[in-house]
Amino acid sequence: MTSQPRGAIRGRSAIVAAGNTEQGTVPGISADEIAVEALRRTLAEHGIAKSEVDGLITCKSYGGFGIDTEIGRLAGLNPDYSATLDYGTCNFSLHLACAVIDAGLATTVAIVYGTNQRSAGNRFGHPLGRQDEASVYGFLNVAGPAGMAFRRHQHLYGTTEEDLGRIAVSQRRYARDNPLAVFREPLTLDDYLAQPYLVEPLRRSDLCMISDGGACLIVTRADRADDFTDKPVHVMGIAQQSGLRDRQNADQWMRPWIERVAERIYPAAGIDREDVDALYIQDPTSVWVLQMLEMYGFVPPGGVGEAFRDGAVGFGGKLPLNTNGGQLSEAYMWGFLHLCEAVRQLRGEAGGRQLDGPRTAQYCSTFGFMKAASTILSVDRS
Amino acid sequence: MDTTTADASLFWDRAAQGELVFQHCDDCAFVRWPAAGVCPECLGRGFTWKPVAPTGTVWSQVVYHRAYDTSLRERIPYNVALVELTCGVRLLTRLTGFGTADPVGAAVTARFEDTGDGPVPVFAPATGTFAPAAGTAEGNVS
Repeated sequence: MTSQPRGAIRGRSAIVAAGNTEQGTVPGISADEIAVEALRRTLAEHGIAKSEVDGLITCKSYGGFGIDTEIGRLAGLNPDYSATLDYGTCNFSLHLACAVIDAGLATTVAIVYGTNQRSAGNRFGHPLGRQDEASVYGFLNVAGPAGMAFRRHQHLYGTTEEDLGRIAVSQRRYARDNPLAVFREPLTLDDYLAQPYLVEPLRRSDLCMISDGGACLIVTRADRADDFTDKPVHVMGIAQQSGLRDRQNADQWMRPWIERVAERIYPAAGIDREDVDALYIQDPTSVWVLQMLEMYGFVPPGGVGEAFRDGAVGFGGKLPLNTNGGQLSEAYMWGFLHLCEAVRQLRGEAGGRQLDGPRTAQYCSTFGFMKAASTILSVDRS
Repeated sequence: MDTTTADASLFWDRAAQGELVFQHCDDCAFVRWPAAGVCPECLGRGFTWKPVAPTGTVWSQVVYHRAYDTSLRERIPYNVALVELTCGVRLLTRLTGFGTADPVGAAVTARFEDTGDGPVPVFAPATGTFAPAAGTAEGNVS
Protein backbone atom coordinates (compact mmCIF):
# COMPACT_ATOMS: atom_id res chain seq x y z
CA MET A 1 0.00 0.00 0.00
CA THR A 2 1.45 3.31 -1.00
CA SER A 3 1.11 6.24 1.32
CA GLN A 4 -0.65 9.32 0.08
CA PRO A 5 0.18 12.88 1.02
CA ARG A 6 -1.99 14.31 3.77
CA GLY A 7 -5.22 15.75 2.43
CA ALA A 8 -5.07 13.65 -0.73
CA ILE A 9 -8.57 13.93 -2.15
CA ARG A 10 -7.29 14.54 -5.62
CA GLY A 11 -10.02 14.54 -8.25
CA ARG A 12 -12.69 13.05 -5.99
CA SER A 13 -15.01 16.06 -5.82
CA ALA A 14 -15.88 18.91 -8.15
CA ILE A 15 -17.55 22.28 -8.04
CA VAL A 16 -20.43 22.35 -10.48
CA ALA A 17 -21.97 25.75 -9.76
CA ALA A 18 -21.03 29.10 -8.27
CA GLY A 19 -23.39 31.99 -7.79
CA ASN A 20 -23.99 35.15 -5.84
CA THR A 21 -26.39 37.94 -5.02
CA GLU A 22 -25.68 41.60 -5.67
CA GLN A 23 -22.94 42.99 -3.42
CA GLY A 24 -22.47 46.17 -1.44
CA THR A 25 -25.58 47.44 0.31
CA VAL A 26 -28.56 45.10 0.26
CA PRO A 27 -31.05 46.56 2.74
CA GLY A 28 -34.36 45.08 3.83
CA ILE A 29 -33.32 41.43 3.89
CA SER A 30 -31.82 39.40 6.71
CA ALA A 31 -28.39 37.81 6.48
CA ASP A 32 -29.85 34.30 6.43
CA GLU A 33 -32.35 35.28 3.74
CA ILE A 34 -29.47 36.62 1.63
CA ALA A 35 -27.74 33.24 1.99
CA VAL A 36 -30.87 31.46 0.79
CA GLU A 37 -31.21 33.92 -2.09
CA ALA A 38 -27.64 33.06 -3.13
CA LEU A 39 -28.59 29.37 -3.04
CA ARG A 40 -31.75 30.02 -5.08
CA ARG A 41 -29.89 31.98 -7.76
CA THR A 42 -27.07 29.45 -7.99
CA LEU A 43 -29.42 26.53 -8.45
CA ALA A 44 -31.60 28.42 -10.94
CA GLU A 45 -28.71 29.75 -13.04
CA HIS A 46 -27.20 26.28 -13.34
CA GLY A 47 -30.44 24.34 -13.75
CA ILE A 48 -29.94 22.29 -10.60
CA ALA A 49 -32.99 21.07 -8.68
CA LYS A 50 -33.09 21.84 -4.96
CA SER A 51 -33.86 18.15 -4.35
CA GLU A 52 -30.32 17.32 -5.57
CA VAL A 53 -28.83 19.10 -2.55
CA ASP A 54 -28.30 16.53 0.20
CA GLY A 55 -25.63 18.40 2.14
CA LEU A 56 -25.54 21.93 3.58
CA ILE A 57 -22.50 23.68 5.02
CA THR A 58 -22.83 27.19 6.35
CA CYS A 59 -20.54 29.45 8.32
CA LYS A 60 -21.31 31.59 11.28
CA SER A 61 -20.08 35.12 11.24
CA TYR A 62 -19.58 37.86 13.79
CA GLY A 63 -23.22 38.90 13.78
CA GLY A 64 -24.21 35.41 14.95
CA PHE A 65 -26.05 34.62 11.72
CA GLY A 66 -25.41 31.77 9.33
CA ILE A 67 -26.39 28.71 11.39
CA ASP A 68 -27.26 25.66 9.27
CA THR A 69 -30.44 24.94 11.22
CA GLU A 70 -31.84 28.39 10.47
CA ILE A 71 -30.69 28.56 6.83
CA GLY A 72 -31.89 24.99 6.26
CA ARG A 73 -35.28 25.89 7.75
CA LEU A 74 -35.60 28.94 5.50
CA ALA A 75 -34.48 26.95 2.46
CA GLY A 76 -36.76 24.01 3.21
CA LEU A 77 -33.98 21.43 3.23
CA ASN A 78 -33.75 18.06 5.00
CA PRO A 79 -30.14 17.26 4.05
CA ASP A 80 -28.35 13.98 4.82
CA TYR A 81 -25.55 16.05 6.33
CA SER A 82 -25.36 19.62 7.57
CA ALA A 83 -22.91 21.64 9.63
CA THR A 84 -21.94 25.17 10.54
CA LEU A 85 -18.34 26.29 10.72
CA ASP A 86 -17.41 29.08 13.08
CA TYR A 87 -15.10 30.38 10.37
CA GLY A 88 -16.15 30.40 6.77
CA THR A 89 -13.65 32.08 4.47
CA CYS A 90 -14.85 29.54 1.97
CA ASN A 91 -11.76 27.37 1.82
CA PHE A 92 -12.74 25.84 5.15
CA SER A 93 -16.32 25.30 4.01
CA LEU A 94 -15.12 23.75 0.76
CA HIS A 95 -12.67 21.45 2.55
CA LEU A 96 -15.41 20.17 4.84
CA ALA A 97 -17.66 19.60 1.83
CA CYS A 98 -14.93 17.57 0.13
CA ALA A 99 -14.37 15.49 3.26
CA VAL A 100 -18.11 14.90 3.70
CA ILE A 101 -18.44 13.79 0.08
CA ASP A 102 -15.35 11.60 0.31
CA ALA A 103 -16.73 9.96 3.46
CA GLY A 104 -20.01 9.21 1.70
CA LEU A 105 -22.05 11.30 4.15
CA ALA A 106 -23.58 13.33 1.32
CA THR A 107 -23.21 13.53 -2.46
CA THR A 108 -24.08 17.09 -3.45
CA VAL A 109 -23.26 19.78 -0.92
CA ALA A 110 -24.28 23.44 -1.01
CA ILE A 111 -21.92 25.80 0.80
CA VAL A 112 -23.57 29.14 1.38
CA TYR A 113 -22.84 32.48 2.99
CA GLY A 114 -24.91 35.59 3.43
CA THR A 115 -24.37 38.77 5.37
CA ASN A 116 -26.03 42.11 5.94
CA GLN A 117 -23.18 43.46 8.06
CA ARG A 118 -22.98 46.71 6.13
CA SER A 119 -26.67 47.50 6.49
CA ALA A 120 -26.52 46.37 10.12
CA GLY A 121 -23.62 48.76 10.80
CA ASN A 122 -21.15 46.11 11.97
CA ARG A 123 -17.82 47.89 11.66
CA PHE A 124 -15.56 45.37 13.34
CA GLY A 125 -14.56 47.95 15.93
CA HIS A 126 -14.08 45.40 18.68
CA PRO A 127 -10.72 44.29 20.03
CA LEU A 128 -9.44 41.27 18.14
CA GLY A 129 -9.56 38.07 20.12
CA ARG A 130 -8.58 37.80 23.75
CA GLN A 131 -6.16 40.69 23.98
CA ASP A 132 -6.48 42.35 27.32
CA GLU A 133 -4.51 45.43 26.33
CA ALA A 134 -6.48 45.96 23.12
CA SER A 135 -9.28 47.78 24.92
CA VAL A 136 -6.85 49.74 27.12
CA TYR A 137 -4.70 51.03 24.25
CA GLY A 138 -7.34 51.16 21.52
CA PHE A 139 -5.96 48.33 19.38
CA LEU A 140 -9.09 47.83 17.28
CA ASN A 141 -9.90 46.51 13.82
CA VAL A 142 -7.77 44.15 11.71
CA ALA A 143 -5.95 47.27 10.48
CA GLY A 144 -4.02 47.27 13.78
CA PRO A 145 -2.28 43.90 13.50
CA ALA A 146 -2.07 44.19 9.70
CA GLY A 147 -0.36 47.57 10.00
CA MET A 148 2.03 46.22 12.60
CA ALA A 149 2.87 43.24 10.42
CA PHE A 150 3.63 45.58 7.52
CA ARG A 151 5.77 47.89 9.67
CA ARG A 152 7.69 44.84 10.82
CA HIS A 153 8.08 43.72 7.20
CA GLN A 154 9.41 47.17 6.31
CA HIS A 155 11.88 46.92 9.18
CA LEU A 156 13.10 43.48 8.07
CA TYR A 157 13.14 43.92 4.27
CA GLY A 158 12.98 47.63 3.51
CA THR A 159 9.55 47.23 1.90
CA THR A 160 8.05 50.55 0.89
CA GLU A 161 4.50 51.91 0.99
CA GLU A 162 4.65 52.00 -2.83
CA ASP A 163 5.33 48.25 -2.81
CA LEU A 164 2.20 47.69 -0.75
CA GLY A 165 0.14 50.15 -2.79
CA ARG A 166 0.74 48.21 -6.00
CA ILE A 167 -1.40 45.38 -4.62
CA ALA A 168 -4.52 47.54 -4.26
CA VAL A 169 -3.83 49.27 -7.60
CA SER A 170 -3.56 45.94 -9.46
CA GLN A 171 -6.72 44.59 -7.90
CA ARG A 172 -8.67 47.75 -8.66
CA ARG A 173 -7.66 47.46 -12.29
CA TYR A 174 -9.25 44.01 -12.44
CA ALA A 175 -12.36 45.25 -10.60
CA ARG A 176 -12.96 47.84 -13.29
CA ASP A 177 -13.91 44.94 -15.59
CA ASN A 178 -16.06 43.21 -12.95
CA PRO A 179 -19.71 44.35 -12.87
CA LEU A 180 -20.11 42.72 -9.45
CA ALA A 181 -17.41 44.88 -7.85
CA VAL A 182 -18.38 47.56 -5.35
CA PHE A 183 -15.32 49.72 -6.15
CA ARG A 184 -14.73 50.22 -9.86
CA GLU A 185 -13.38 53.76 -10.15
CA PRO A 186 -9.76 54.06 -11.35
CA LEU A 187 -7.02 53.88 -8.73
CA THR A 188 -3.43 54.86 -9.55
CA LEU A 189 -0.41 54.52 -7.30
CA ASP A 190 -0.43 58.33 -6.90
CA ASP A 191 -4.11 58.18 -5.89
CA TYR A 192 -3.21 55.54 -3.35
CA LEU A 193 -0.30 57.50 -1.89
CA ALA A 194 -2.47 60.62 -1.64
CA GLN A 195 -4.97 58.84 0.60
CA PRO A 196 -4.68 59.73 4.28
CA TYR A 197 -3.63 57.00 6.68
CA LEU A 198 -6.35 55.16 8.57
CA VAL A 199 -4.01 53.15 10.73
CA GLU A 200 -0.53 54.23 9.67
CA PRO A 201 1.08 52.77 7.59
CA LEU A 202 -2.22 51.54 6.04
CA ARG A 203 -4.62 53.57 3.91
CA ARG A 204 -8.25 53.20 2.85
CA SER A 205 -7.38 51.05 -0.18
CA ASP A 206 -5.38 48.62 1.98
CA LEU A 207 -8.50 47.62 3.86
CA CYS A 208 -11.65 45.96 2.61
CA MET A 209 -15.03 47.55 3.14
CA ILE A 210 -17.63 45.54 5.02
CA SER A 211 -20.42 44.75 2.55
CA ASP A 212 -23.74 42.94 2.30
CA GLY A 213 -24.21 40.05 -0.06
CA GLY A 214 -24.45 36.32 -0.51
CA ALA A 215 -22.60 33.57 -2.35
CA CYS A 216 -23.03 29.85 -2.91
CA LEU A 217 -21.11 26.96 -4.42
CA ILE A 218 -22.40 23.49 -5.22
CA VAL A 219 -19.90 20.65 -4.74
CA THR A 220 -20.51 17.08 -5.75
CA ARG A 221 -18.74 13.73 -6.16
CA ALA A 222 -16.51 13.98 -9.20
CA ASP A 223 -18.17 11.03 -10.95
CA ARG A 224 -21.53 12.80 -10.59
CA ALA A 225 -20.28 16.15 -11.94
CA ASP A 226 -21.22 15.43 -15.54
CA ASP A 227 -24.85 15.04 -14.45
CA PHE A 228 -24.88 18.74 -13.63
CA THR A 229 -22.55 20.43 -16.09
CA ASP A 230 -20.05 19.88 -18.87
CA LYS A 231 -17.76 22.38 -17.14
CA PRO A 232 -16.93 20.88 -13.73
CA VAL A 233 -14.06 22.39 -11.76
CA HIS A 234 -12.18 19.62 -9.99
CA VAL A 235 -10.76 19.92 -6.49
CA MET A 236 -7.20 18.67 -6.94
CA GLY A 237 -5.76 19.39 -3.51
CA ILE A 238 -6.57 20.86 -0.14
CA ALA A 239 -4.37 21.68 2.85
CA GLN A 240 -4.77 23.44 6.16
CA GLN A 241 -2.76 24.51 9.17
CA SER A 242 -3.95 26.00 12.42
CA GLY A 243 -2.07 28.42 14.63
CA LEU A 244 -4.37 28.19 17.61
CA ARG A 245 -1.77 29.36 20.13
CA ASP A 246 -2.49 32.79 18.73
CA ARG A 247 -0.64 35.34 20.85
CA GLN A 248 1.63 32.64 22.25
CA ASN A 249 3.04 32.19 18.75
CA ALA A 250 6.18 34.10 17.97
CA ASP A 251 5.57 36.77 15.33
CA GLN A 252 1.83 36.16 15.63
CA TRP A 253 0.85 38.76 13.08
CA MET A 254 3.40 37.55 10.51
CA ARG A 255 1.76 34.12 10.77
CA PRO A 256 4.82 32.10 9.67
CA TRP A 257 2.96 28.82 10.28
CA ILE A 258 1.01 29.46 7.05
CA GLU A 259 4.14 28.20 5.29
CA ARG A 260 3.19 24.68 6.32
CA VAL A 261 0.11 24.88 4.09
CA ALA A 262 2.42 25.77 1.22
CA GLU A 263 4.54 22.70 2.00
CA ARG A 264 1.48 20.42 1.79
CA ILE A 265 -0.73 21.84 -0.93
CA TYR A 266 1.41 21.17 -4.01
CA PRO A 267 2.19 17.53 -3.15
CA ALA A 268 -1.51 17.03 -2.27
CA ALA A 269 -2.57 18.36 -5.68
CA GLY A 270 0.26 16.70 -7.57
CA ILE A 271 1.30 19.92 -9.29
CA ASP A 272 4.11 22.42 -9.02
CA ARG A 273 3.69 26.06 -8.03
CA GLU A 274 4.67 27.00 -11.57
CA ASP A 275 1.55 25.21 -12.88
CA VAL A 276 -0.79 27.74 -11.22
CA ASP A 277 -2.42 29.85 -13.95
CA ALA A 278 -4.42 32.13 -11.66
CA LEU A 279 -3.87 32.87 -7.99
CA TYR A 280 -6.43 33.99 -5.45
CA ILE A 281 -5.47 35.31 -2.01
CA GLN A 282 -8.09 36.34 0.51
CA ASP A 283 -7.49 39.97 1.32
CA PRO A 284 -9.29 41.70 4.16
CA THR A 285 -6.09 43.75 4.02
CA SER A 286 -3.47 44.13 1.30
CA VAL A 287 -0.89 42.95 3.85
CA TRP A 288 -2.34 39.44 3.71
CA VAL A 289 -1.61 39.36 -0.04
CA LEU A 290 1.95 40.46 0.56
CA GLN A 291 2.43 37.83 3.26
CA MET A 292 0.95 34.92 1.33
CA LEU A 293 2.71 35.71 -1.95
CA GLU A 294 5.91 35.21 0.02
CA MET A 295 4.84 32.27 2.17
CA TYR A 296 3.57 30.25 -0.79
CA GLY A 297 6.84 30.95 -2.56
CA PHE A 298 5.55 33.01 -5.49
CA VAL A 299 8.02 35.76 -4.59
CA PRO A 300 11.06 35.77 -2.31
CA PRO A 301 10.77 37.51 1.09
CA GLY A 302 10.81 41.25 0.49
CA GLY A 303 10.23 40.76 -3.23
CA VAL A 304 6.58 41.71 -3.60
CA GLY A 305 7.15 45.27 -4.79
CA GLU A 306 9.60 44.13 -7.44
CA ALA A 307 7.26 41.35 -8.57
CA PHE A 308 4.44 43.82 -9.26
CA ARG A 309 6.81 46.34 -10.90
CA ASP A 310 8.34 43.74 -13.19
CA GLY A 311 5.04 42.13 -14.18
CA ALA A 312 5.69 38.80 -12.47
CA VAL A 313 2.33 39.02 -10.66
CA GLY A 314 -0.79 41.17 -10.85
CA PHE A 315 -2.80 42.84 -13.60
CA GLY A 316 -1.21 42.28 -17.00
CA GLY A 317 1.49 40.17 -15.37
CA LYS A 318 2.67 36.61 -15.81
CA LEU A 319 0.67 35.36 -12.81
CA PRO A 320 -2.84 36.88 -12.56
CA LEU A 321 -3.76 37.60 -8.96
CA ASN A 322 -7.27 38.23 -7.55
CA THR A 323 -8.80 38.83 -10.96
CA ASN A 324 -12.14 39.72 -9.33
CA GLY A 325 -10.58 42.70 -7.56
CA GLY A 326 -10.46 40.78 -4.30
CA GLN A 327 -12.07 41.96 -1.12
CA LEU A 328 -10.25 45.26 -1.51
CA SER A 329 -12.30 46.19 -4.59
CA GLU A 330 -14.97 43.59 -5.30
CA ALA A 331 -16.73 42.88 -1.98
CA TYR A 332 -15.97 41.54 1.48
CA MET A 333 -17.88 38.25 1.58
CA TRP A 334 -15.28 36.49 3.75
CA GLY A 335 -13.42 35.29 0.68
CA PHE A 336 -16.33 33.41 -0.90
CA LEU A 337 -16.16 35.49 -4.06
CA HIS A 338 -12.49 34.60 -4.66
CA LEU A 339 -13.53 30.99 -5.04
CA CYS A 340 -16.53 31.92 -7.19
CA GLU A 341 -14.16 33.90 -9.42
CA ALA A 342 -11.65 31.05 -9.67
CA VAL A 343 -14.48 28.74 -10.76
CA ARG A 344 -15.72 31.26 -13.34
CA GLN A 345 -12.24 31.81 -14.79
CA LEU A 346 -11.67 28.06 -15.11
CA ARG A 347 -15.10 27.67 -16.77
CA GLY A 348 -14.38 30.55 -19.14
CA GLU A 349 -17.26 32.59 -17.73
CA ALA A 350 -15.42 35.67 -16.41
CA GLY A 351 -16.66 38.10 -19.06
CA GLY A 352 -14.48 41.13 -19.77
CA ARG A 353 -11.76 40.02 -17.38
CA GLN A 354 -11.55 36.44 -18.69
CA LEU A 355 -7.99 35.09 -18.72
CA ASP A 356 -6.65 33.16 -21.68
CA GLY A 357 -7.70 29.59 -20.98
CA PRO A 358 -6.49 29.02 -17.42
CA ARG A 359 -6.50 25.34 -16.44
CA THR A 360 -5.37 25.52 -12.81
CA ALA A 361 -6.16 28.00 -10.04
CA GLN A 362 -5.09 28.23 -6.41
CA TYR A 363 -6.98 29.88 -3.57
CA CYS A 364 -5.22 30.75 -0.30
CA SER A 365 -7.11 32.06 2.71
CA THR A 366 -6.89 32.47 6.44
CA PHE A 367 -9.15 32.88 9.40
CA GLY A 368 -7.46 35.79 11.09
CA PHE A 369 -4.47 34.65 13.12
CA MET A 370 -5.75 31.17 13.89
CA LYS A 371 -6.16 29.15 10.70
CA ALA A 372 -4.92 28.94 7.13
CA ALA A 373 -6.10 26.91 4.15
CA SER A 374 -5.48 26.47 0.46
CA THR A 375 -7.20 24.73 -2.44
CA ILE A 376 -6.01 23.91 -5.92
CA LEU A 377 -8.68 23.66 -8.62
CA SER A 378 -8.40 22.41 -12.18
CA VAL A 379 -10.50 21.88 -15.27
CA ASP A 380 -8.75 18.50 -15.52
CA ARG A 381 -9.59 15.67 -13.15
CA SER A 382 -6.16 14.05 -13.39
CA MET B 1 -15.81 48.66 24.24
CA ASP B 2 -14.52 45.58 26.02
CA THR B 3 -12.80 45.99 29.33
CA THR B 4 -9.92 44.05 30.78
CA THR B 5 -10.48 40.43 31.80
CA ALA B 6 -10.79 39.02 35.31
CA ASP B 7 -7.81 36.71 34.71
CA ALA B 8 -5.58 39.75 34.16
CA SER B 9 -6.88 42.00 36.92
CA LEU B 10 -3.71 41.56 38.99
CA PHE B 11 -1.59 42.65 36.02
CA TRP B 12 -3.44 45.97 35.84
CA ASP B 13 -3.56 46.44 39.62
CA ARG B 14 0.20 46.01 39.90
CA ALA B 15 0.85 48.10 36.80
CA ALA B 16 -0.99 50.94 38.56
CA GLN B 17 1.67 50.58 41.27
CA GLY B 18 4.49 50.73 38.76
CA GLU B 19 5.32 47.05 38.40
CA LEU B 20 5.05 44.53 35.55
CA VAL B 21 3.89 41.11 36.77
CA PHE B 22 2.98 37.97 34.82
CA GLN B 23 1.81 34.47 35.64
CA HIS B 24 4.73 32.03 35.99
CA CYS B 25 3.69 28.37 35.70
CA ASP B 26 4.37 26.46 38.98
CA ASP B 27 5.08 23.28 37.01
CA CYS B 28 7.18 24.34 33.99
CA ALA B 29 8.03 28.00 34.80
CA PHE B 30 6.59 29.24 31.50
CA VAL B 31 5.78 32.96 31.65
CA ARG B 32 2.41 33.49 30.02
CA TRP B 33 0.39 36.32 28.55
CA PRO B 34 -2.50 36.85 27.97
CA ALA B 35 -3.45 35.80 31.48
CA ALA B 36 -5.25 32.46 31.68
CA GLY B 37 -6.15 29.69 34.10
CA VAL B 38 -4.10 27.04 32.29
CA CYS B 39 -0.48 26.90 31.17
CA PRO B 40 -0.41 26.57 27.35
CA GLU B 41 2.95 24.75 27.57
CA CYS B 42 2.28 21.96 30.12
CA LEU B 43 -1.48 22.41 30.78
CA GLY B 44 -0.78 22.81 34.51
CA ARG B 45 -3.16 24.91 36.55
CA GLY B 46 -0.86 26.24 39.25
CA PHE B 47 0.79 29.63 38.78
CA THR B 48 2.36 32.49 40.69
CA TRP B 49 2.36 36.14 39.68
CA LYS B 50 5.95 37.40 39.68
CA PRO B 51 7.53 40.68 38.59
CA VAL B 52 9.70 40.81 35.47
CA ALA B 53 12.30 43.29 34.25
CA PRO B 54 10.52 46.29 32.66
CA THR B 55 12.76 46.15 29.60
CA GLY B 56 12.38 44.99 26.02
CA THR B 57 12.56 45.91 22.35
CA VAL B 58 9.91 47.31 20.01
CA TRP B 59 8.62 44.65 17.62
CA SER B 60 6.42 47.06 15.65
CA GLN B 61 4.15 50.06 15.95
CA VAL B 62 1.14 51.63 14.23
CA VAL B 63 -0.55 55.03 14.55
CA TYR B 64 -4.34 55.21 14.59
CA HIS B 65 -5.63 58.21 12.65
CA ARG B 66 -9.19 56.91 12.78
CA ALA B 67 -11.22 56.14 15.90
CA TYR B 68 -12.83 52.71 15.57
CA ASP B 69 -14.77 53.35 18.77
CA THR B 70 -16.43 56.62 19.79
CA SER B 71 -14.55 56.54 23.10
CA LEU B 72 -11.29 56.94 21.18
CA ARG B 73 -12.21 60.03 19.16
CA GLU B 74 -10.41 62.49 21.38
CA ARG B 75 -7.27 60.37 21.49
CA ILE B 76 -6.49 60.21 17.77
CA PRO B 77 -3.87 60.21 16.54
CA TYR B 78 -2.49 57.65 18.98
CA ASN B 79 0.06 54.91 18.65
CA VAL B 80 -0.06 51.25 19.65
CA ALA B 81 3.08 49.16 19.77
CA LEU B 82 4.05 45.60 20.49
CA VAL B 83 7.02 45.32 22.83
CA GLU B 84 8.92 42.07 23.21
CA LEU B 85 9.89 41.99 26.88
CA THR B 86 13.17 40.52 28.06
CA CYS B 87 11.15 37.78 29.81
CA GLY B 88 9.79 36.64 26.43
CA VAL B 89 6.26 38.00 26.74
CA ARG B 90 5.00 40.25 23.92
CA LEU B 91 2.93 43.09 25.31
CA LEU B 92 0.66 45.49 23.47
CA THR B 93 1.35 48.96 24.75
CA ARG B 94 1.99 52.56 23.76
CA LEU B 95 5.29 54.26 23.01
CA THR B 96 6.31 57.66 24.22
CA GLY B 97 9.38 59.82 23.79
CA PHE B 98 10.40 58.72 20.28
CA GLY B 99 9.44 61.91 18.46
CA THR B 100 9.77 61.24 14.74
CA ALA B 101 12.40 58.50 15.21
CA ASP B 102 11.62 55.00 13.89
CA PRO B 103 10.97 52.97 17.05
CA VAL B 104 10.98 49.46 15.50
CA GLY B 105 13.84 47.45 16.93
CA ALA B 106 14.64 50.04 19.62
CA ALA B 107 15.41 49.06 23.21
CA VAL B 108 12.77 50.38 25.59
CA THR B 109 11.97 50.63 29.28
CA ALA B 110 8.54 50.74 30.92
CA ARG B 111 7.15 53.79 32.58
CA PHE B 112 3.68 54.15 33.98
CA GLU B 113 1.34 56.89 32.79
CA ASP B 114 -2.13 57.75 33.93
CA THR B 115 -4.43 57.85 30.90
CA GLY B 116 -7.52 58.56 33.00
CA ASP B 117 -8.22 55.16 34.54
CA GLY B 118 -5.03 54.90 36.57
CA PRO B 119 -1.44 54.34 35.49
CA VAL B 120 -0.83 51.85 32.68
CA PRO B 121 2.50 50.68 31.24
CA VAL B 122 3.90 52.61 28.30
CA PHE B 123 7.42 52.33 26.93
CA ALA B 124 10.10 54.93 26.27
CA PRO B 125 13.59 54.69 24.75
CA ALA B 126 15.93 52.82 27.05
CA THR B 127 18.57 55.50 26.53
CA GLY B 128 18.14 59.22 26.05
CA THR B 129 17.21 62.32 27.94
CA PHE B 130 13.78 61.39 29.14
CA ALA B 131 13.29 61.28 32.93
CA PRO B 132 11.04 58.48 34.24
CA ALA B 133 9.88 60.49 37.23
CA ALA B 134 8.92 63.62 35.32
CA GLY B 135 5.38 62.46 34.63
CA THR B 136 4.67 65.14 32.07
CA ALA B 137 2.11 64.43 29.40
CA GLU B 138 3.61 63.90 25.99
CA GLY B 139 1.93 63.80 22.63
CA ASN B 140 0.46 60.48 21.61
CA VAL B 141 2.24 60.28 18.30
CA SER B 142 5.76 59.03 18.13
